Amino acid sequence: MFSTTGNTEATKTTSWKVVLPFYGYAAIAFLIATILLLFSASDITSHYFLPHTLAIIHIMALGWGTMMILGASHQLVPVLIEGKLYSNKLAYASFTFAAIGIPLLVNGFYVFNMGLHTQCGGILIILSVIAYLINLAASMVKSKQENVHAFFIFTAALWLLATAIVGLLLLYNFTEPLLPKGSLNYLPVHAHIGIVGWFLLLVMGVGSRLIPLFLISKYNNTRQLWWIYGLINGGLLSFVYIFLYTDSKSLLSIPLLAVAASIVLFGDFCFKAYQQRIRKKVDEQMKVSLLSVLMMLLPVIFLVIIITLLILSPKENVSLIITYGFIIFFGWITAIILGMTFKTLPFIVWNKVYHHLAGKGKTPNPKDLFSKKVFKWMSVAYILGFVMFTAGILFYSAIVLQIAAALLLLTSLLYNWNVIKLLMHKPVSL
Amino acid sequence: MTNVITNDNLQCTVALAALQNVMDPEIGLNIVDLGLVYQLDFDESEKKIYCAMTLTTQFCPMGESITNAVKENLKLSFPEYEAEIDLTFDPPWSHEMISEEGREFLNEQ
Repeated sequence: MFSTTGNTEATKTTSWKVVLPFYGYAAIAFLIATILLLFSASDITSHYFLPHTLAIIHIMALGWGTMMILGASHQLVPVLIEGKLYSNKLAYASFTFAAIGIPLLVNGFYVFNMGLHTQCGGILIILSVIAYLINLAASMVKSKQENVHAFFIFTAALWLLATAIVGLLLLYNFTEPLLPKGSLNYLPVHAHIGIVGWFLLLVMGVGSRLIPLFLISKYNNTRQLWWIYGLINGGLLSFVYIFLYTDSKSLLSIPLLAVAASIVLFGDFCFKAYQQRIRKKVDEQMKVSLLSVLMMLLPVIFLVIIITLLILSPKENVSLIITYGFIIFFGWITAIILGMTFKTLPFIVWNKVYHHLAGKGKTPNPKDLFSKKVFKWMSVAYILGFVMFTAGILFYSAIVLQIAAALLLLTSLLYNWNVIKLLMHKPVSL
Repeated sequence: MTNVITNDNLQCTVALAALQNVMDPEIGLNIVDLGLVYQLDFDESEKKIYCAMTLTTQFCPMGESITNAVKENLKLSFPEYEAEIDLTFDPPWSHEMISEEGREFLNEQ
Protein backbone atom coordinates (compact mmCIF):
# COMPACT_ATOMS: atom_id res chain seq x y z
CA MET A 1 0.00 0.00 0.00
CA PHE A 2 2.83 2.37 0.77
CA SER A 3 6.58 2.18 0.83
CA THR A 4 8.73 3.20 3.75
CA THR A 5 12.24 4.43 3.45
CA GLY A 6 13.18 4.62 7.09
CA ASN A 7 14.82 7.96 6.57
CA THR A 8 13.85 11.27 8.08
CA GLU A 9 15.94 13.37 5.68
CA ALA A 10 12.80 15.08 4.35
CA THR A 11 12.25 16.69 7.76
CA LYS A 12 15.51 18.67 7.55
CA THR A 13 14.50 22.21 6.81
CA THR A 14 16.71 25.26 6.10
CA SER A 15 18.35 26.58 9.26
CA TRP A 16 16.79 29.66 10.85
CA LYS A 17 20.28 31.18 10.89
CA VAL A 18 20.11 31.45 7.10
CA VAL A 19 16.62 32.91 6.93
CA LEU A 20 16.24 35.35 9.83
CA PRO A 21 18.88 37.91 8.71
CA PHE A 22 16.88 38.46 5.49
CA TYR A 23 13.66 39.08 7.49
CA GLY A 24 15.38 41.48 9.91
CA TYR A 25 17.06 43.41 7.09
CA ALA A 26 13.79 43.73 5.15
CA ALA A 27 11.95 45.07 8.21
CA ILE A 28 14.58 47.79 8.74
CA ALA A 29 14.55 48.65 5.02
CA PHE A 30 10.75 49.10 5.15
CA LEU A 31 11.11 51.43 8.12
CA ILE A 32 13.80 53.51 6.36
CA ALA A 33 11.73 53.68 3.17
CA THR A 34 8.69 55.01 5.04
CA ILE A 35 10.83 57.56 6.94
CA LEU A 36 12.26 58.80 3.62
CA LEU A 37 8.75 58.85 2.15
CA LEU A 38 7.57 61.07 5.00
CA PHE A 39 10.36 63.58 4.28
CA SER A 40 9.87 63.45 0.50
CA ALA A 41 6.08 63.08 0.35
CA SER A 42 5.39 66.54 -1.06
CA ASP A 43 8.15 66.30 -3.78
CA ILE A 44 7.08 62.90 -5.00
CA THR A 45 4.43 64.21 -7.40
CA SER A 46 6.89 66.27 -9.50
CA HIS A 47 8.63 63.45 -11.42
CA TYR A 48 9.54 59.78 -10.99
CA PHE A 49 13.18 60.30 -12.01
CA LEU A 50 14.23 62.26 -8.94
CA PRO A 51 17.06 61.27 -6.54
CA HIS A 52 14.84 60.75 -3.49
CA THR A 53 12.16 58.89 -5.43
CA LEU A 54 14.78 56.61 -7.02
CA ALA A 55 16.27 55.95 -3.58
CA ILE A 56 12.86 55.08 -2.07
CA ILE A 57 11.93 52.82 -5.02
CA HIS A 58 15.21 50.90 -4.73
CA ILE A 59 14.93 50.47 -0.95
CA MET A 60 11.40 49.15 -1.47
CA ALA A 61 12.29 46.91 -4.42
CA LEU A 62 15.61 45.56 -3.11
CA GLY A 63 15.81 46.11 0.65
CA TRP A 64 12.18 45.31 1.38
CA GLY A 65 10.71 43.20 -1.42
CA THR A 66 13.73 41.29 -2.69
CA MET A 67 15.41 40.67 0.70
CA MET A 68 12.15 39.40 2.16
CA ILE A 69 11.48 37.16 -0.85
CA LEU A 70 15.05 35.83 -0.84
CA GLY A 71 14.75 35.02 2.88
CA ALA A 72 11.37 33.33 2.55
CA SER A 73 12.46 31.49 -0.56
CA HIS A 74 15.52 29.97 1.17
CA GLN A 75 13.01 28.54 3.64
CA LEU A 76 10.37 27.56 1.09
CA VAL A 77 12.49 26.31 -1.82
CA PRO A 78 12.88 22.86 -0.20
CA VAL A 79 9.07 22.62 0.08
CA LEU A 80 8.60 23.74 -3.52
CA ILE A 81 11.28 21.62 -5.17
CA GLU A 82 10.96 18.75 -2.68
CA GLY A 83 14.67 18.73 -1.98
CA LYS A 84 17.16 20.20 0.49
CA LEU A 85 18.71 23.64 -0.01
CA TYR A 86 22.09 22.96 -1.64
CA SER A 87 24.29 25.31 0.43
CA ASN A 88 23.90 27.49 3.50
CA LYS A 89 27.20 29.20 2.67
CA LEU A 90 25.85 30.42 -0.67
CA ALA A 91 22.76 31.72 1.15
CA TYR A 92 24.98 33.67 3.60
CA ALA A 93 27.01 34.99 0.64
CA SER A 94 23.82 36.08 -1.11
CA PHE A 95 22.72 37.95 2.04
CA THR A 96 26.10 39.59 2.67
CA PHE A 97 26.55 40.84 -0.91
CA ALA A 98 23.02 42.29 -1.01
CA ALA A 99 23.21 43.70 2.52
CA ILE A 100 26.30 45.75 1.60
CA GLY A 101 25.31 46.48 -2.00
CA ILE A 102 21.82 47.88 -1.36
CA PRO A 103 22.84 50.80 0.94
CA LEU A 104 25.69 51.73 -1.43
CA LEU A 105 23.29 51.83 -4.37
CA VAL A 106 20.49 53.62 -2.52
CA ASN A 107 22.88 56.22 -1.08
CA GLY A 108 24.17 56.86 -4.61
CA PHE A 109 20.65 57.57 -5.81
CA TYR A 110 19.81 59.71 -2.79
CA VAL A 111 22.78 62.04 -3.28
CA PHE A 112 22.58 61.51 -7.05
CA ASN A 113 26.17 60.40 -7.46
CA MET A 114 26.41 57.48 -9.87
CA GLY A 115 30.15 57.07 -9.31
CA LEU A 116 32.27 54.19 -8.07
CA HIS A 117 30.44 53.55 -4.78
CA THR A 118 27.07 53.27 -6.46
CA GLN A 119 28.50 51.06 -9.20
CA CYS A 120 30.11 48.81 -6.55
CA GLY A 121 26.67 48.57 -4.93
CA GLY A 122 25.20 47.41 -8.25
CA ILE A 123 27.99 44.83 -8.74
CA LEU A 124 27.48 43.43 -5.22
CA ILE A 125 23.77 43.04 -5.88
CA ILE A 126 24.54 41.09 -9.06
CA LEU A 127 26.92 38.83 -7.07
CA SER A 128 24.15 38.26 -4.53
CA VAL A 129 21.72 37.20 -7.27
CA ILE A 130 24.35 34.90 -8.84
CA ALA A 131 24.95 33.21 -5.47
CA TYR A 132 21.18 32.72 -5.11
CA LEU A 133 20.86 31.34 -8.66
CA ILE A 134 23.70 28.84 -8.18
CA ASN A 135 22.15 27.69 -4.90
CA LEU A 136 18.74 27.35 -6.53
CA ALA A 137 20.05 25.51 -9.60
CA ALA A 138 22.16 23.09 -7.53
CA SER A 139 19.22 22.41 -5.17
CA MET A 140 16.96 21.68 -8.15
CA VAL A 141 19.50 19.38 -9.83
CA LYS A 142 20.01 17.47 -6.58
CA SER A 143 16.28 17.15 -5.94
CA LYS A 144 15.54 15.68 -9.41
CA GLN A 145 11.85 16.51 -8.85
CA GLU A 146 10.43 18.57 -11.68
CA ASN A 147 7.48 20.72 -10.88
CA VAL A 148 5.89 23.86 -12.21
CA HIS A 149 6.62 25.90 -9.05
CA ALA A 150 10.36 25.28 -9.36
CA PHE A 151 10.26 26.57 -12.94
CA PHE A 152 8.50 29.73 -11.77
CA ILE A 153 11.14 30.42 -9.11
CA PHE A 154 14.16 29.67 -11.26
CA THR A 155 12.89 31.74 -14.19
CA ALA A 156 12.01 34.58 -11.81
CA ALA A 157 15.57 34.50 -10.44
CA LEU A 158 16.92 34.68 -14.02
CA TRP A 159 14.75 37.76 -14.61
CA LEU A 160 16.12 39.25 -11.38
CA LEU A 161 19.65 38.76 -12.69
CA ALA A 162 18.65 40.40 -15.99
CA THR A 163 17.10 43.32 -14.06
CA ALA A 164 20.26 43.80 -11.99
CA ILE A 165 22.52 43.64 -15.08
CA VAL A 166 20.38 46.14 -17.00
CA GLY A 167 20.34 48.34 -13.88
CA LEU A 168 24.13 48.30 -13.68
CA LEU A 169 24.39 49.11 -17.39
CA LEU A 170 22.10 52.11 -16.85
CA LEU A 171 24.30 53.21 -13.94
CA TYR A 172 27.47 53.07 -16.06
CA ASN A 173 25.60 54.82 -18.84
CA PHE A 174 25.30 57.89 -16.61
CA THR A 175 29.05 58.40 -16.40
CA GLU A 176 30.19 56.84 -19.68
CA PRO A 177 27.78 56.51 -22.60
CA LEU A 178 27.51 52.78 -23.29
CA LEU A 179 23.99 52.71 -24.73
CA PRO A 180 22.64 54.55 -27.80
CA LYS A 181 20.25 56.64 -25.67
CA GLY A 182 20.20 58.10 -22.15
CA SER A 183 19.46 55.86 -19.14
CA LEU A 184 15.99 57.36 -18.61
CA ASN A 185 14.91 55.90 -21.98
CA TYR A 186 15.57 52.34 -20.82
CA LEU A 187 13.96 52.70 -17.44
CA PRO A 188 10.68 50.96 -18.47
CA VAL A 189 12.62 47.83 -19.53
CA HIS A 190 14.62 47.74 -16.26
CA ALA A 191 11.49 48.36 -14.17
CA HIS A 192 9.20 45.87 -15.91
CA ILE A 193 11.56 42.93 -16.11
CA GLY A 194 12.00 43.46 -12.36
CA ILE A 195 8.33 43.91 -11.52
CA VAL A 196 6.84 41.30 -13.84
CA GLY A 197 9.74 38.89 -14.34
CA TRP A 198 10.98 38.80 -10.75
CA PHE A 199 8.18 39.83 -8.41
CA LEU A 200 5.06 38.74 -10.30
CA LEU A 201 6.44 35.43 -11.56
CA LEU A 202 7.89 34.52 -8.17
CA VAL A 203 4.83 35.54 -6.17
CA MET A 204 2.63 33.47 -8.48
CA GLY A 205 4.95 30.45 -8.36
CA VAL A 206 5.17 30.46 -4.57
CA GLY A 207 1.56 31.59 -4.02
CA SER A 208 0.13 28.85 -6.22
CA ARG A 209 1.79 26.31 -3.92
CA LEU A 210 1.28 27.99 -0.54
CA ILE A 211 -2.27 29.36 -0.88
CA PRO A 212 -3.88 25.91 -1.46
CA LEU A 213 -1.55 24.44 1.20
CA PHE A 214 -2.52 26.98 3.89
CA LEU A 215 -6.22 26.80 2.99
CA ILE A 216 -6.06 22.95 2.82
CA SER A 217 -7.73 23.19 -0.55
CA LYS A 218 -8.68 20.35 -2.86
CA TYR A 219 -7.99 22.53 -5.88
CA ASN A 220 -4.96 22.00 -8.08
CA ASN A 221 -4.54 22.84 -11.75
CA THR A 222 -1.02 22.46 -13.11
CA ARG A 223 -2.14 23.14 -16.69
CA GLN A 224 -3.50 26.54 -15.67
CA LEU A 225 -0.20 27.32 -13.94
CA TRP A 226 1.77 26.48 -17.10
CA TRP A 227 -0.51 28.85 -19.02
CA ILE A 228 0.22 31.59 -16.50
CA TYR A 229 3.96 30.85 -16.78
CA GLY A 230 3.82 31.06 -20.60
CA LEU A 231 1.73 34.24 -20.63
CA ILE A 232 4.03 36.13 -18.25
CA ASN A 233 7.28 35.10 -19.94
CA GLY A 234 5.86 35.48 -23.45
CA GLY A 235 4.39 38.86 -22.52
CA LEU A 236 7.65 40.07 -21.01
CA LEU A 237 9.83 38.92 -23.90
CA SER A 238 7.48 40.55 -26.40
CA PHE A 239 7.50 43.76 -24.31
CA VAL A 240 11.31 43.93 -24.38
CA TYR A 241 11.34 43.35 -28.14
CA ILE A 242 8.56 45.87 -28.90
CA PHE A 243 10.07 48.50 -26.61
CA LEU A 244 13.62 48.21 -27.94
CA TYR A 245 13.03 47.54 -31.65
CA THR A 246 9.77 49.28 -32.59
CA ASP A 247 8.32 52.73 -32.05
CA SER A 248 4.76 51.49 -31.84
CA LYS A 249 2.89 52.32 -28.62
CA SER A 250 -0.20 50.37 -29.67
CA LEU A 251 1.84 47.14 -29.98
CA LEU A 252 2.50 47.44 -26.23
CA SER A 253 -1.09 46.28 -25.73
CA ILE A 254 0.06 42.73 -26.68
CA PRO A 255 2.32 42.17 -23.64
CA LEU A 256 -0.13 44.08 -21.49
CA LEU A 257 -2.95 41.74 -22.51
CA ALA A 258 -0.75 38.68 -21.91
CA VAL A 259 0.22 39.79 -18.40
CA ALA A 260 -3.36 40.88 -17.60
CA ALA A 261 -4.61 37.45 -18.73
CA SER A 262 -2.04 35.75 -16.49
CA ILE A 263 -3.23 37.81 -13.50
CA VAL A 264 -6.86 36.94 -14.23
CA LEU A 265 -5.94 33.25 -14.49
CA PHE A 266 -3.99 33.44 -11.22
CA GLY A 267 -6.92 35.22 -9.54
CA ASP A 268 -9.18 32.44 -10.81
CA PHE A 269 -6.74 29.82 -9.45
CA CYS A 270 -6.73 31.46 -5.99
CA PHE A 271 -10.51 31.90 -5.98
CA LYS A 272 -11.10 28.24 -6.83
CA ALA A 273 -8.56 27.21 -4.18
CA TYR A 274 -10.46 29.41 -1.71
CA GLN A 275 -13.85 27.96 -2.74
CA GLN A 276 -12.66 24.37 -2.43
CA ARG A 277 -10.91 24.82 0.91
CA ILE A 278 -11.50 22.31 3.68
CA ARG A 279 -10.44 24.70 6.42
CA LYS A 280 -13.31 27.15 6.62
CA LYS A 281 -11.80 29.84 8.82
CA VAL A 282 -9.33 32.10 7.01
CA ASP A 283 -6.92 33.93 9.34
CA GLU A 284 -6.07 37.64 9.10
CA GLN A 285 -2.62 37.04 7.56
CA MET A 286 -4.19 34.92 4.82
CA LYS A 287 -6.86 37.56 4.20
CA VAL A 288 -4.18 40.25 3.66
CA SER A 289 -2.34 37.88 1.29
CA LEU A 290 -5.54 37.18 -0.67
CA LEU A 291 -6.22 40.92 -0.79
CA SER A 292 -2.82 41.38 -2.44
CA VAL A 293 -3.92 39.01 -5.23
CA LEU A 294 -6.81 41.40 -5.95
CA MET A 295 -4.37 44.31 -5.76
CA MET A 296 -2.43 42.84 -8.70
CA LEU A 297 -5.21 44.11 -10.94
CA LEU A 298 -4.78 47.76 -9.90
CA PRO A 299 -1.43 48.32 -11.67
CA VAL A 300 -2.84 46.63 -14.79
CA ILE A 301 -5.74 49.10 -14.85
CA PHE A 302 -3.31 52.01 -14.46
CA LEU A 303 -1.07 50.62 -17.20
CA VAL A 304 -4.05 50.37 -19.58
CA ILE A 305 -4.82 54.05 -18.91
CA ILE A 306 -1.15 55.10 -19.26
CA ILE A 307 -0.69 53.25 -22.59
CA THR A 308 -4.03 54.52 -23.94
CA LEU A 309 -3.02 58.10 -23.10
CA LEU A 310 0.43 57.54 -24.67
CA ILE A 311 -1.22 56.32 -27.89
CA LEU A 312 -3.47 59.39 -27.95
CA SER A 313 -0.70 61.87 -27.05
CA PRO A 314 3.09 61.33 -26.78
CA LYS A 315 3.30 63.40 -23.56
CA GLU A 316 3.69 61.26 -20.42
CA ASN A 317 1.18 61.61 -17.61
CA VAL A 318 3.67 61.79 -14.72
CA SER A 319 1.20 61.52 -11.83
CA LEU A 320 -0.30 58.35 -13.35
CA ILE A 321 3.17 56.81 -13.75
CA ILE A 322 4.09 57.70 -10.14
CA THR A 323 0.79 56.24 -8.91
CA TYR A 324 1.48 53.11 -10.97
CA GLY A 325 4.89 52.66 -9.29
CA PHE A 326 3.47 53.44 -5.85
CA ILE A 327 0.65 50.90 -6.05
CA ILE A 328 3.13 48.22 -7.12
CA PHE A 329 5.74 48.74 -4.39
CA PHE A 330 3.66 50.12 -1.52
CA GLY A 331 0.49 48.32 -2.62
CA TRP A 332 0.73 44.86 -4.04
CA ILE A 333 4.27 43.87 -2.95
CA THR A 334 3.91 45.39 0.52
CA ALA A 335 0.48 43.81 1.10
CA ILE A 336 1.72 40.32 0.27
CA ILE A 337 4.79 40.74 2.51
CA LEU A 338 2.77 42.15 5.43
CA GLY A 339 0.50 39.11 5.26
CA MET A 340 3.06 36.40 4.53
CA THR A 341 5.63 37.56 7.13
CA PHE A 342 3.26 36.58 9.93
CA LYS A 343 2.37 33.36 8.17
CA THR A 344 6.01 32.20 7.92
CA LEU A 345 8.15 34.01 10.53
CA PRO A 346 6.30 32.67 13.64
CA PHE A 347 7.00 29.10 12.47
CA ILE A 348 10.69 29.82 11.81
CA VAL A 349 11.03 31.38 15.27
CA TRP A 350 9.02 28.57 16.89
CA ASN A 351 11.37 26.03 15.30
CA LYS A 352 14.37 27.98 16.58
CA VAL A 353 13.10 28.29 20.15
CA TYR A 354 10.95 25.20 20.76
CA HIS A 355 12.28 22.63 18.33
CA HIS A 356 14.09 20.67 21.09
CA LEU A 357 11.01 20.82 23.35
CA ALA A 358 8.59 19.28 20.83
CA GLY A 359 6.50 16.62 22.56
CA LYS A 360 8.17 17.21 25.95
CA GLY A 361 5.60 19.60 27.31
CA LYS A 362 3.11 22.25 26.34
CA THR A 363 4.58 25.02 24.21
CA PRO A 364 2.91 28.15 22.84
CA ASN A 365 1.34 28.01 19.40
CA PRO A 366 3.47 29.72 16.69
CA LYS A 367 0.52 32.02 15.98
CA ASP A 368 0.70 33.32 19.56
CA LEU A 369 4.28 34.52 19.28
CA PHE A 370 3.25 37.89 17.83
CA SER A 371 0.53 40.38 18.78
CA LYS A 372 -2.64 39.97 16.72
CA LYS A 373 -3.87 43.33 18.01
CA VAL A 374 -0.79 45.10 16.67
CA PHE A 375 -1.19 43.18 13.39
CA LYS A 376 -4.79 44.42 13.10
CA TRP A 377 -3.80 48.05 13.77
CA MET A 378 -0.95 47.70 11.30
CA SER A 379 -3.40 46.48 8.64
CA VAL A 380 -5.78 49.42 9.31
CA ALA A 381 -2.94 51.99 9.20
CA TYR A 382 -1.62 50.38 6.02
CA ILE A 383 -4.92 50.36 4.11
CA LEU A 384 -5.71 53.96 5.12
CA GLY A 385 -2.18 55.14 4.30
CA PHE A 386 -2.13 53.34 0.97
CA VAL A 387 -5.52 54.66 -0.21
CA MET A 388 -4.78 58.22 0.98
CA PHE A 389 -1.31 58.34 -0.60
CA THR A 390 -2.70 57.11 -3.94
CA ALA A 391 -5.41 59.80 -3.78
CA GLY A 392 -2.78 62.38 -2.75
CA ILE A 393 -0.64 61.70 -5.86
CA LEU A 394 -3.61 61.73 -8.21
CA PHE A 395 -5.11 64.95 -6.76
CA TYR A 396 -1.76 66.71 -5.97
CA SER A 397 -2.68 67.23 -2.33
CA ALA A 398 0.42 67.85 -0.18
CA ILE A 399 -1.47 67.59 3.12
CA VAL A 400 -3.11 64.26 2.17
CA LEU A 401 0.31 62.94 1.08
CA GLN A 402 1.86 63.99 4.38
CA ILE A 403 -0.86 62.35 6.50
CA ALA A 404 -0.74 59.21 4.34
CA ALA A 405 3.06 59.03 4.63
CA ALA A 406 2.73 59.30 8.44
CA LEU A 407 0.23 56.40 8.37
CA LEU A 408 2.62 54.31 6.28
CA LEU A 409 5.41 55.10 8.74
CA LEU A 410 3.09 53.95 11.52
CA THR A 411 2.49 50.75 9.52
CA SER A 412 6.21 50.06 9.32
CA LEU A 413 6.69 50.84 13.05
CA LEU A 414 3.93 48.40 14.01
CA TYR A 415 5.33 45.83 11.60
CA ASN A 416 8.80 46.21 13.12
CA TRP A 417 7.34 46.00 16.63
CA ASN A 418 5.86 42.59 15.84
CA VAL A 419 8.96 41.39 13.98
CA ILE A 420 11.20 42.40 16.92
CA LYS A 421 8.76 40.69 19.33
CA LEU A 422 9.13 37.52 17.27
CA LEU A 423 12.90 37.70 16.84
CA MET A 424 13.48 38.35 20.57
CA HIS A 425 11.12 35.59 21.72
CA LYS A 426 12.48 33.57 24.64
CA PRO A 427 11.15 30.11 25.54
CA VAL A 428 8.15 29.99 27.85
CA SER A 429 6.53 26.82 29.19
CA LEU A 430 2.76 26.63 29.56
CA MET B 1 -11.73 7.14 13.70
CA THR B 2 -8.77 6.74 11.30
CA ASN B 3 -7.41 4.65 8.45
CA VAL B 4 -4.21 3.73 10.31
CA ILE B 5 -3.07 0.14 9.88
CA THR B 6 -2.44 -1.40 13.28
CA ASN B 7 -2.24 -4.83 14.89
CA ASP B 8 -5.66 -3.96 16.27
CA ASN B 9 -4.70 -4.54 19.86
CA LEU B 10 -4.73 -2.48 23.03
CA GLN B 11 -1.14 -1.31 22.54
CA CYS B 12 -1.94 0.23 19.18
CA THR B 13 -5.06 1.89 20.55
CA VAL B 14 -2.98 3.46 23.34
CA ALA B 15 -0.29 4.50 20.86
CA LEU B 16 -2.86 6.15 18.58
CA ALA B 17 -4.34 7.98 21.55
CA ALA B 18 -0.83 9.19 22.46
CA LEU B 19 -0.27 10.43 18.91
CA GLN B 20 -3.48 12.42 19.10
CA ASN B 21 -1.55 14.77 21.39
CA VAL B 22 0.80 15.65 18.53
CA MET B 23 -0.59 18.65 16.70
CA ASP B 24 0.21 20.16 13.34
CA PRO B 25 0.84 23.71 14.61
CA GLU B 26 -0.22 25.38 11.34
CA ILE B 27 -3.52 23.57 11.02
CA GLY B 28 -4.24 23.08 14.72
CA LEU B 29 -5.34 19.48 14.18
CA ASN B 30 -3.73 16.34 15.61
CA ILE B 31 -1.64 14.25 13.22
CA VAL B 32 -3.85 11.15 13.55
CA ASP B 33 -7.01 12.91 12.40
CA LEU B 34 -4.98 14.80 9.83
CA GLY B 35 -4.07 11.42 8.33
CA LEU B 36 -0.31 11.69 8.73
CA VAL B 37 0.06 8.36 10.53
CA TYR B 38 -0.03 5.43 8.08
CA GLN B 39 0.93 2.41 10.15
CA LEU B 40 1.89 1.39 13.68
CA ASP B 41 3.71 -1.84 14.50
CA PHE B 42 5.02 -3.22 17.77
CA ASP B 43 8.02 -5.53 17.67
CA GLU B 44 7.89 -7.38 20.98
CA SER B 45 11.23 -9.17 20.61
CA GLU B 46 13.18 -5.99 19.73
CA LYS B 47 11.01 -3.78 21.99
CA LYS B 48 10.49 -1.33 19.16
CA ILE B 49 7.52 0.67 17.88
CA TYR B 50 7.59 1.37 14.15
CA CYS B 51 5.54 4.35 13.08
CA ALA B 52 5.12 4.82 9.33
CA MET B 53 4.01 8.37 8.73
CA THR B 54 4.09 11.27 6.32
CA LEU B 55 4.00 15.07 6.40
CA THR B 56 1.61 17.42 4.57
CA THR B 57 4.54 18.33 2.34
CA GLN B 58 8.14 17.22 1.92
CA PHE B 59 10.65 19.41 3.77
CA CYS B 60 7.81 20.90 5.81
CA PRO B 61 9.46 23.51 8.09
CA MET B 62 7.74 21.88 11.09
CA GLY B 63 8.61 18.33 10.01
CA GLU B 64 11.41 17.65 12.46
CA SER B 65 9.39 19.05 15.37
CA ILE B 66 6.45 16.80 14.46
CA THR B 67 8.56 13.63 14.16
CA ASN B 68 10.36 14.48 17.44
CA ALA B 69 6.98 14.97 19.14
CA VAL B 70 5.82 11.58 17.78
CA LYS B 71 8.87 9.87 19.29
CA GLU B 72 8.49 11.69 22.61
CA ASN B 73 4.79 10.87 22.93
CA LEU B 74 5.33 7.20 22.11
CA LYS B 75 8.21 7.06 24.60
CA LEU B 76 5.99 8.61 27.24
CA SER B 77 3.26 5.97 26.80
CA PHE B 78 5.67 3.06 26.26
CA PRO B 79 8.85 3.81 28.24
CA GLU B 80 10.24 0.30 27.72
CA TYR B 81 10.05 0.60 23.91
CA GLU B 82 12.12 2.49 21.40
CA ALA B 83 10.19 4.44 18.78
CA GLU B 84 11.36 4.48 15.17
CA ILE B 85 9.87 6.69 12.47
CA ASP B 86 9.57 5.56 8.85
CA LEU B 87 8.89 8.73 6.95
CA THR B 88 7.30 8.12 3.57
CA PHE B 89 5.82 10.23 0.81
CA ASP B 90 4.49 7.26 -1.13
CA PRO B 91 1.58 7.84 -1.22
CA PRO B 92 1.85 11.57 -0.59
CA TRP B 93 -0.54 13.11 1.92
CA SER B 94 -3.78 14.48 0.52
CA HIS B 95 -6.90 16.07 2.01
CA GLU B 96 -8.76 12.75 1.48
CA MET B 97 -6.70 11.29 4.34
CA ILE B 98 -8.27 13.64 6.89
CA SER B 99 -10.68 11.74 9.16
CA GLU B 100 -14.37 12.63 9.54
CA GLU B 101 -13.63 14.12 12.98
CA GLY B 102 -10.81 16.14 11.44
CA ARG B 103 -13.08 17.49 8.72
CA GLU B 104 -15.69 18.48 11.28
CA PHE B 105 -13.01 20.28 13.30
CA LEU B 106 -11.77 22.18 10.23
CA ASN B 107 -15.34 23.08 9.28
CA GLU B 108 -15.96 24.57 12.68
CA GLN B 109 -12.66 26.47 12.79
